Amino acid sequence: MTDRPTAPELLEAVTEFLATEVLPTASDHRFKFRTLVALNALGIARREIASADQSASEEELSELAKRIRAGDIHGGDLDHLKEHVAAKLRISNPGYLDRYP
Amino acid sequence: MKPSWAAELGERLGGEVERAVLLPGGASKEAWAVDLRAGEGTSALLVRRAAGGVIHADTLSLDHEFRVLEAAQAAGVSVPRPVTYLGELGGREAFAMERVDGETIGRRIVRDPPAALPLQMAEELVRIHAIPPETLPFLPEANTVARMREELDSVNEPHPAIELGLTWADERLPRGREHVVCHGDWRIGNLVVTEAGLGHVLDWEFARLGDPAEDLAWPLVRAWRFGADDRRLGGVGEVEPYLERYNELTGREIALEELAVWEVLGNAKWAVGALTQSRRHLNGLERSVELAVLGRIAAEMEYELLDLIERAA
Repeated sequence: MTDRPTAPELLEAVTEFLATEVLPTASDHRFKFRTLVALNALGIARREIASADQSASEEELSELAKRIRAGDIHGGDLDHLKEHVAAKLRISNPGYLDRYP
Repeated sequence: MKPSWAAELGERLGGEVERAVLLPGGASKEAWAVDLRAGEGTSALLVRRAAGGVIHADTLSLDHEFRVLEAAQAAGVSVPRPVTYLGELGGREAFAMERVDGETIGRRIVRDPPAALPLQMAEELVRIHAIPPETLPFLPEANTVARMREELDSVNEPHPAIELGLTWADERLPRGREHVVCHGDWRIGNLVVTEAGLGHVLDWEFARLGDPAEDLAWPLVRAWRFGADDRRLGGVGEVEPYLERYNELTGREIALEELAVWEVLGNAKWAVGALTQSRRHLNGLERSVELAVLGRIAAEMEYELLDLIERAA
């Protein structure tokens, strides 16, 4: 075990600092935008740490990528890939999936 | 403070540089807003200049970009007036063109898009595709699927969803249609929009010879709708009237179903683009949190292309 704050707690602290102390002082449009991007990046990292890693292995994905490039597409590939990509989105941008009613 | 080359630029353009401001954005090329006083008047110029970073292997040099701008103007395309190719300016390649007024920020344009915009886009694209290719012998031939596979390999991370988009599109793309001069990045964000509609066409660095339908379908890609998802043409309108007008003026018979295939390819293309841009950060070429997160945004285009394929079935 490590001492507290844990990694998620550290990310949370930095997020709060950016949101409450840096963002309100951002007068320059570009600077404000980059701060929001940085907050978004921290959000991705926090969700990734909080999620139990159930993602497919690199080896499995490589094999699938190779087979599909070779033109050998199976009936179940589309559903399987949709689930795989949705799992990535639940970490990188959960709100995005709401755009698909 | 004016850049060190301001006096040199004034001398070469026969005036005096009153103001030169570096505009944000542009990793491989700088854009400077320059006010030049000559005689009684002041002219608003935009100076495009090579940046310190590595130039994307797939984009035109500034010399060639300037020649495309000239050819576009000669063909009646609404482009900012090309002023002069400068060669070296302060040690780096540059050219000057007219600086035009209007909106280029996608999010603002889709908030209240001018009603005339979709048909104007069709008409403007017809003029672009009529630029005589023999005047631009340096333009590369588009071979998008092969190029995307190559770039995806350079990313060194498996992306079966993008592979599915590339293979699926490759099996369905038309073969043998005559190639024309394509803009290469024809979408909202690269068009200057005013209240009256389409003002000018910018950003010619991806110009190439290719299938006209590839340009035609590029603004359909969901990312280029800037949040206005229900307006499939770039967040500004419906696709059908735009396509119909284009076909009517060119005599081409490009079907809506074909655009859907190019739309899948377009999503694969932008997914690969996002991955390669994040590598600029990861490889240390250009450290930037903005570039870094693009690696995680690629999944959005992956999901969209899978959804498009599912709906096309």
